[in-house]
Amino acid sequence: MLNIRSWSLSRREAAAGYLFISPWIIGFILLTLGPMLASLYFSFNQYNIVDMPRWIGLGNYTRLFNDPLFWQSLKVTLYFAVLALPSGLILSFLLAILLNQNIPGVRLWRTLYFLPSVLTGVAVTLLWVLLFNPQMGAVNQVLELIGIKGPGWLNDPDWSIPALVIMALWGVGQNMIIYLAGLQSVPAELYDAAKVDGAGRVMQFRHVTLPMMTPVLFYNLVLGLIGTFSYFTQAYVASGAVGEVGGPLRSTLFYNLYLYQNAFDYREMGYASAMAWVLFAIVLLLTLVVFRSSSLWVYYEGELRGKG
Amino acid sequence: MKRNSWLLITCLVIVSLLVVAPALAQDKVKVTIFVGLGTGTDPDQITKQEELQARFNASHDSIEIEFLIVPHDEAGTRLLAMLAGDNAPQLVGPNGISTIAEYFDSWADITPFIEAEGFDTSDFYQESLELNAYPNLNTGLPLGLFPSFVLYNIDMFDAAGIDYPPTDYNDTSWNYDKLREIAMLLTLDSNANDATMEEFDAEDIVQWGFSDAWTDTRGMLARWGAPDVGRPTSADYKTASANSAEWVYGLQWFSDGMWVDHFIPTGEQQSGIEATGAAPLDSGVIAMFYTHTWYLGEALFDLPFEVGIAPAPFNQNGQRIARIHADNFTIPKNATNQQEAWEVMKWLTSEENLVDVCLIYGCIPARMSLADDFAAALNERFPDLDTNVIFEAIDYLDAPNHESWVPNWGRINDALNFAASLINTGENTDAQSVLDQANVELQKILDEYWASQSS
Repeated sequence: MLNIRSWSLSRREAAAGYLFISPWIIGFILLTLGPMLASLYFSFNQYNIVDMPRWIGLGNYTRLFNDPLFWQSLKVTLYFAVLALPSGLILSFLLAILLNQNIPGVRLWRTLYFLPSVLTGVAVTLLWVLLFNPQMGAVNQVLELIGIKGPGWLNDPDWSIPALVIMALWGVGQNMIIYLAGLQSVPAELYDAAKVDGAGRVMQFRHVTLPMMTPVLFYNLVLGLIGTFSYFTQAYVASGAVGEVGGPLRSTLFYNLYLYQNAFDYREMGYASAMAWVLFAIVLLLTLVVFRSSSLWVYYEGELRGKG
Repeated sequence: MKRNSWLLITCLVIVSLLVVAPALAQDKVKVTIFVGLGTGTDPDQITKQEELQARFNASHDSIEIEFLIVPHDEAGTRLLAMLAGDNAPQLVGPNGISTIAEYFDSWADITPFIEAEGFDTSDFYQESLELNAYPNLNTGLPLGLFPSFVLYNIDMFDAAGIDYPPTDYNDTSWNYDKLREIAMLLTLDSNANDATMEEFDAEDIVQWGFSDAWTDTRGMLARWGAPDVGRPTSADYKTASANSAEWVYGLQWFSDGMWVDHFIPTGEQQSGIEATGAAPLDSGVIAMFYTHTWYLGEALFDLPFEVGIAPAPFNQNGQRIARIHADNFTIPKNATNQQEAWEVMKWLTSEENLVDVCLIYGCIPARMSLADDFAAALNERFPDLDTNVIFEAIDYLDAPNHESWVPNWGRINDALNFAASLINTGENTDAQSVLDQANVELQKILDEYWASQSS
């Protein structure tokens, strides 16, 4: 019989700790790690769900690199990331700075700008599809008022990704709130000291606000990067609503969309699993690069640098 | 003490009944019918399926059925999860030909059941038996058919002073040239100029002559008389045939209809029509719409105009091909109780029940003996429609069918739909180059498939 009383205090504390986190650990092993390992195994198999998996070694991985749609989906995702990630980070930061000013009704403005980030998903995507409709949508009608003939947006292969980027900016309120919290935690004495040193508003922003906000920027960048590579629902719903999932002309065939098609439309679960692991490797690599670069541009107040 | 004894005995009896009752109920073999991949999920359909379930269960001692209704959006993944989890439903349906093709590896062959009891299939339309029969696989008894035809807006014809299309299947003047001619007259810009006039403004169209928007590329091209009709491969499924002369002719007809003659909405214009939320003909901006019988159940409600019906026109080779959709129920190959599932399949498609089943799902019963009963029901709902046009269309169906299985069905269809998108977006309006390019892609997909089968 287990005699817990004879255990040392530290051992008892460790046991209690493990006991408390065991629900999460069990859940992680059963619901995350297990399926991950299964998908790793399937990635080396030809597997259509109905029949038993058939081992094909690296076949799915070599096929990936010869699949033009794999490269197309990677290109689409990177194009979207290049547009959506910086614009989202910059816009949310600028909004946070604006809403950190002492202006009348600031709480109302903050609520208004944050609200769209709560309203996301299929319904909002369908709303955007209507707004972007080239014939009847409000966006082109407004453009027409100022003499501009609007593009085909989601119906035009050249404009479909910019349209999705604009849709993504609808949710910048989430990042904005995080920036806002960061801005409000910048110590006021730093600004006072900068003023004493003769710094204007631009210099204060450049030498106080920006360095102090780099941890928050870093956090939003990492999450944004992962989020961009997980992009799926909006592209699936929006392109499907205008007639062709991943269209027009495969211009919105995001990596995850193609992965989904392989898994559930073409029933090539092994191939889709290989895609998932390649995606994991890409995101891991990019995240590691961002982490390694952080020592060059992220400032932590409590961190000791160099020998000084 | 005596009272306590009675109480104890009563409790024991109740407990025994509770234990034994489910066991007694389980004497009946359960057949779960998975509904959701196709039609059958609307509230009124659910109610009618429940009534059907009660009727079956009341009349059978050894089998019990249960309709498992799954929302359409999640039906595919739910079915795959059930198949993967060794928990397959006993029957799946109603499935269209495309659904059967999409899940092709999943179905059991019903040939052994038919042969074992010498089941008589002579009352089914012969063509309907072939729609879901492949080498070594007969997926299910035919349930219903959805023939196709042209529905048109009578008011638009009257306003333009154009004669209605003929309903006589022997009238060879009704061909795609004639359809193009009147469709251009019915295509109007906002100044009421038609598409044959010099003043016609193609940038400002408010009414189009023709649409076949609710189909895919194979559906668009099945009507032009290619040797493989609606199938983009040779009969052995090893050679792509998407750039046949007939398919090129057909796709060019659509391309010119959009970009030269302007009587068919382009992809962008179609998107504008759909944004109104109305079905194509119901939108009031389409004069002629090519569709199937399921449209009669899904649309045509409270229209402010009259609707006429005409057969599929003759094609450039003098053939009439009216593509068809068909539904059936299938048995997953790893399902338990397959014999009982077969019994339920027979019951659902029997002479006594098929009209009721088809009234739930909106199809024409696949049994010839029931044609008159169903025509009467149709005439009651659509007294002004010539229902003969609908029934005669069955004789001109597309075989091989435009939804039929080909290797890597989903990839092949996506590649062909990409080709049609090149036309719809105006990116490339030359059908020959579009289909040549598609054919190369299709051949690669086929080669990959056959290589994976032999390795």
